[in-house]
Amino acid sequence: MNKLDIPQKAIRRSIYRVGLFSIGLLVVLLSYVIYIQVFESDTLAFHPLNRRTAEAARTVQRGQITDKHGEVLAFSKLSQKEYRREYPYDAVFAHVVGYDSPKYGKTGIEGRYDGYLSGQINPEKRLGAISQLFTSSAGNTVVLSLDAKLQQIAYQTLGNRRGAVVVMSPKSGAILAMVSRPAFNPNTLATTWDNVSQAANSPLLNRAAQGLYPPGSIIKVMVAEAALKEHIADENLQFNCNGSFKIGPDYILTEVNNTAHGRVDLKHALAVSCNVTFGQLALNLGRSKMAKTFERYGFTQLIKGDIQESTNQLPDFSRLNDGDLAQTGIGQGSLLVTPLRMAMLASTFANKGIMMKPYLVQKITAPEGTLLRETKPEVWLAPAGSKLADQIADMMVSVVAEGTGSGAALRGIQVAGKTGTAENPHGDSHAWFIGFAPAEDPQVAIAVVVENAGAGGSVAAPIARQILLQALR
Amino acid sequence: MRQKKVTELGLLLLTGLVLMNGYLAVSLANHQFSYSNFSITVILPAFWIFTSMIIRRRFLCADPVLLPLAVFLASIGLTLILRLRPDLFIQQAIWLAAGLLAFIVTAISFRQAEDIAKYKYLCGIIGIILLLITITFGVDIGGNKNWIVLGPIRVQPSEFAKLLIIVFLAAYLSERRQLLTYATRHYGPLILPHPRFIAPLLALWALTMAMLIVQRDLGSALLYFGTTVIMTYMASGKWGYVVLALGLFFTGSTVCYYLFPHVQVRIDIWLNPWADPSGRSYQIVQSLFALGSGGVLGSGLTFGHPNSIPEVHTDFIFAAIGEELGLAGTAAVIMAYILIVYRAFRTALASQIPFTMLLAGGLGVLTALQVFIIIGGVTKFLPLTGITLPLISYGGSSMVSSFILLGMLFAISEATSTQ
Repeated sequence: MNKLDIPQKAIRRSIYRVGLFSIGLLVVLLSYVIYIQVFESDTLAFHPLNRRTAEAARTVQRGQITDKHGEVLAFSKLSQKEYRREYPYDAVFAHVVGYDSPKYGKTGIEGRYDGYLSGQINPEKRLGAISQLFTSSAGNTVVLSLDAKLQQIAYQTLGNRRGAVVVMSPKSGAILAMVSRPAFNPNTLATTWDNVSQAANSPLLNRAAQGLYPPGSIIKVMVAEAALKEHIADENLQFNCNGSFKIGPDYILTEVNNTAHGRVDLKHALAVSCNVTFGQLALNLGRSKMAKTFERYGFTQLIKGDIQESTNQLPDFSRLNDGDLAQTGIGQGSLLVTPLRMAMLASTFANKGIMMKPYLVQKITAPEGTLLRETKPEVWLAPAGSKLADQIADMMVSVVAEGTGSGAALRGIQVAGKTGTAENPHGDSHAWFIGFAPAEDPQVAIAVVVENAGAGGSVAAPIARQILLQALR
Repeated sequence: MRQKKVTELGLLLLTGLVLMNGYLAVSLANHQFSYSNFSITVILPAFWIFTSMIIRRRFLCADPVLLPLAVFLASIGLTLILRLRPDLFIQQAIWLAAGLLAFIVTAISFRQAEDIAKYKYLCGIIGIILLLITITFGVDIGGNKNWIVLGPIRVQPSEFAKLLIIVFLAAYLSERRQLLTYATRHYGPLILPHPRFIAPLLALWALTMAMLIVQRDLGSALLYFGTTVIMTYMASGKWGYVVLALGLFFTGSTVCYYLFPHVQVRIDIWLNPWADPSGRSYQIVQSLFALGSGGVLGSGLTFGHPNSIPEVHTDFIFAAIGEELGLAGTAAVIMAYILIVYRAFRTALASQIPFTMLLAGGLGVLTALQVFIIIGGVTKFLPLTGITLPLISYGGSSMVSSFILLGMLFAISEATSTQ
């Protein structure tokens, strides 16, 4: 045996190495399986192609969606052994609540909160076999921040015109109403799908959060704030408006009907929506400060939250010529924004320069009432200082009190606002109104847009008035 | 020594509870409890305790955890097969019983392991013939083209060929160790012995390439090839063989990749399964969904949807474990394999005779590689290949050959601990 000792030592050493290698391979494999089953687990389990969630959901009563007072907006009903989704308000909440159709998928809250509504995301699902003890329970209830009554009023006031309304609480960011017209009835999707999905006026589009419009003059409130902040203007500085403004060799910025506003201060310029003044302010601010202002107000980023929004489109400021820069200052040119963002802009001046993160879902409760999730109001951005914000709010009050926004005035309640009449390549101007009320202690902020309907003051402001009336009741 | 017998008995009893519990969980949830099937979960544990008692008459010091680990994995396999394919449950129980018999017979035959080394060429030739038969007459059943059908009998000879070839290699390499170690011929930077001495190795490598090309069996090719190369390294301690072999394998594989579309498809699916999730990569994507949906604790037996994976009861059984038993189940299974591999190398290192050292080491490598390749395949860690998961997948050839492997290890462990 001694004779063989030395070579055996060599074999033993290499066997030892191979042993470590073999066990190492399996340890690597185990780590990888842990990665798949722990870190990739949710991605794979809720992957759209993974039929397990859908299959499990079919046997569970899907949770309700309600407004903030518990008014039911969507519920599941058992018919012929299968659950069917019903929407008692038909088209009124179609874009926000969305639809849950076995054939056309899920949108809106139905899609985004599918895991909660179907109960598949529930923590007891992680208990392995024990979770089977809980299967009899239904999905969770999603309580929205919407007010069903207000939503209905907004829906009816907008009527058959194309457009959108967003009403929110400026102090919390809670969305109180979100209406988009034309709408569709989620209850009859199976029979109307072809019409609805192919109609030229796109009823499936949630205009309130995904419709992109030139803002027109409503953007002036932001430009005014920037001018004050950057000391381009102060409250006493006088502007001279003779009805038109020649920029460069071949561009002339004009007033509506070529009205000359004469000598105006900033407050008055906003009240009469003087294009010359704001074109001039945009030029004085310059490209980089204008770009920075839009960035400050969050237009360059998406809100990561409940609401699926479109990306707002900003011009490439560094490449704008003077004419286009002045156009941007009055909300024209290639600038495109969503009504949601305009409601948030109004909210910022209602809330001392703080922009709250908008949210739709107030809380989620389990069938037996346990609170699973509650939204705490959250500051998203702080684009303006509180003094400047109050100053702009004051100016917005005078817009309604004595300027273009008088159509939104309410008896006994001070309303702040700004109108917009946005020129666009699709026909008549879009009518805009943004505002908030009561001005001294703002409870609601609003944005209204009516497509190709004419002037903001005469079309959008009265709609906003109706809705504010209901909201403050 | 009595201690080992008691340890083994205790572990076997515990494993009996695992099987019984698994049977009850599945059959009660599916409302298909039957006393005749339930009796199987009593008879099988009785049989493996009986096996232990017979074996322990002759083997006093052999490794007491090998048999319990094997029946533990087999119990999990049986439970999953009852859940996935209840019609195959009794058949698989019979295969397990056959495996236990094979274990007894192998352990007793290898009692004097050195004697086996005398028949090395017989083993090698039978092994190679079995492989050649498979390559030439292989029939495709369930995606694997390595079945031989003889009337009513269907076997996968490659499951047995691999064991014969390892026995041959262990004997051959331990005998020619010096020649391989003190190589004389220089080929560029490589120093290798005279071609005459490595001819059998080259023949084996050629055979694996044939498997790859003719049978499209990437998994088995990798398994044979890897085991051969690593055993050569173990015997010689020379990295040169590993480098040479890796070079050969990669050259061969690259050529195959460009020449044969089926190899390309496999590799493409592996690199990007999400390109065609409902078509070519359906199986692997479904497997990933199953593993992901299982999460840490799984859905519970019978509450998942593992039947959406084609061939789930054979090659993809691991994904079903992942879905219904979660990471708890998959980690337990992998750790049981790690323990088997660990015990194999422990036995190899404790052994005094080069032949048994190499044999135990080779069996350890084979187990590790096989588990790595198939589990790696169903989890997308490696390209997917069709080989079975030892002791768990449905199938008689695989079950019996796994128990033969463990029987050899068991016998060698007895011999090492007496010295």
